[in-house]
Amino acid sequence: MSYDDVEIEDMQWSDELQAYTYPCPCGDLFQITKEELKLGEEIARCPSCSLYITVIYNAEDFADDKSKSNLEPEKRQAVAVA
Amino acid sequence: MAVEVNQSSKETIIEQREKEEEQLWSWGAGTDGQLGTARLQDEHLPQLLNLPSLSSAGPVSILACGGAHVVALTYGGKVLTWGRGNSGQLGHGEMVNTLLAPKPVMSLESYFITQVSAGWSHSGFVSDEGCAFTCGDGSFGQLGHGDYRSHCSPVKVSFFVNKHVEQIACGMRHSLVLLKDNSGNQLYGFGSGKRGQLGVPMDRIKSINTPQFTCGFDDVKIISIGANGDHSAALSAEGQLYIWGRGFGATSDFLIPQHIPSPLLSKAVLGWNHALILSDDGEVYMLGGSHHGVLSNPEKMNPSKHLSGNPFGKLKTRINLINYIASIRVDDHVYTLKLPQHKYNLFCFGETGAAVLERVPGLDGMKVVQIAAGAEHSAIITEDGVIKTWGWGEHGQLGLGSTCDQNIPQTVSLGHDIEHNDATFRVYCGSGFTYAIRTLCPPP
Ligand SMILES: [Zn+2]
Repeated sequence: MSYDDVEIEDMQWSDELQAYTYPCPCGDLFQITKEELKLGEEIARCPSCSLYITVIYNAEDFADDKSKSNLEPEKRQAVAVA
Repeated sequence: MAVEVNQSSKETIIEQREKEEEQLWSWGAGTDGQLGTARLQDEHLPQLLNLPSLSSAGPVSILACGGAHVVALTYGGKVLTWGRGNSGQLGHGEMVNTLLAPKPVMSLESYFITQVSAGWSHSGFVSDEGCAFTCGDGSFGQLGHGDYRSHCSPVKVSFFVNKHVEQIACGMRHSLVLLKDNSGNQLYGFGSGKRGQLGVPMDRIKSINTPQFTCGFDDVKIISIGANGDHSAALSAEGQLYIWGRGFGATSDFLIPQHIPSPLLSKAVLGWNHALILSDDGEVYMLGGSHHGVLSNPEKMNPSKHLSGNPFGKLKTRINLINYIASIRVDDHVYTLKLPQHKYNLFCFGETGAAVLERVPGLDGMKVVQIAAGAEHSAIITEDGVIKTWGWGEHGQLGLGSTCDQNIPQTVSLGHDIEHNDATFRVYCGSGFTYAIRTLCPPP
């Protein structure tokens, strides 16, 4: 069961971790990346313990890049190959 | 904290305290150096600590434990910090990832500090002259300096320069400040207010970076305050508890301080989803403990959050609750509910069920003298000096030698050779870790 439901606007972006974070009661941070959000993932996990939270967000807010990446088919292809 | 120490008796107390022998143990989450063990690892059993920098600073009067850092205050008014410092919460003038051993906060050396608090990633300090200082993460305005900057050295909160601050309490993303002898505007809050934890009479302010007057205490004298997670609490001189901020269990958030009917209280402490309350006669009660002790066991979790009786379906909107009247807006209709308050132990009614002030089981016949709460675990001390813990145990924060959760208080052993006679014990909890202090009482 999810430890908590957290709105994306309550999560903090961490440049260091390249992820949205939220405090975990163990002392570490729940984390979710932009890529995960783009894929529709709504679970943010803590690397130090078994707990996870459900992230509440508007999928469209993170799908923006789709149109952008459509404009960059080469780049997307490269990623797919890798 | 209600007891005042005047200048002349200060020296006597320090002299007296220095003759006492003090031992510290720690256990639980330790990967940020918060245990003071000089190792970056969790400990499942109490570790007797060797902290020369702390013992040479004198005996500890308060140990404030935050998300992953510790702030120690000595009876001599000195402050030492250690653990995680990546937001500046240690106050040593630089962002450090981890500090393994207690280090004096040099910029506070010229002050006599009387009270300290540790939040998730910020810290607060109060001097004998009534000044408040804060350092650490300021992204939500929780430092109170009028901006959202972080500080790695304690900075005096200028809002309070002409006022006498008595206490500061640091939560996850907010802070509370209690003024001395100032009836009326005695309590202030700053930082994140999204769950109502500032008690400011506006609807869900996101965050405020200058202290705001907390409403609802015009005729109530507050003697102590507490903050943890998104919760706030105050204890009145009459031994009554007031709570605001995030709701407990299935209950909705409290946007203004709410009086919790209870027996006469001597102390209240907050976790992230529960509150522990110690009555005047040594009984312990808990508020909102549905996850407590079953967090790593999903099957055992209280399913009340998902009861089918909720007429509004799976609601993402929170309910406003003021003076036992709940109001909720669904598709432009406002529903109001007058809530029952006649039942002694039923203090309010939420989305789907009641949050109850429950007596902690397994303590029959035991008088409890001290209580402490981590994010998801609890610790108490009985009058016989026995330490008991329960709640979430995944990081060993219960000190029972395992990572199991416990829903009934269990006895912690500090070692077979530890005498409980002629000694007093204290216990303190950080988010996922615990400290115990044993002080030898000098022979009378
Ligand atoms: Zn965790």
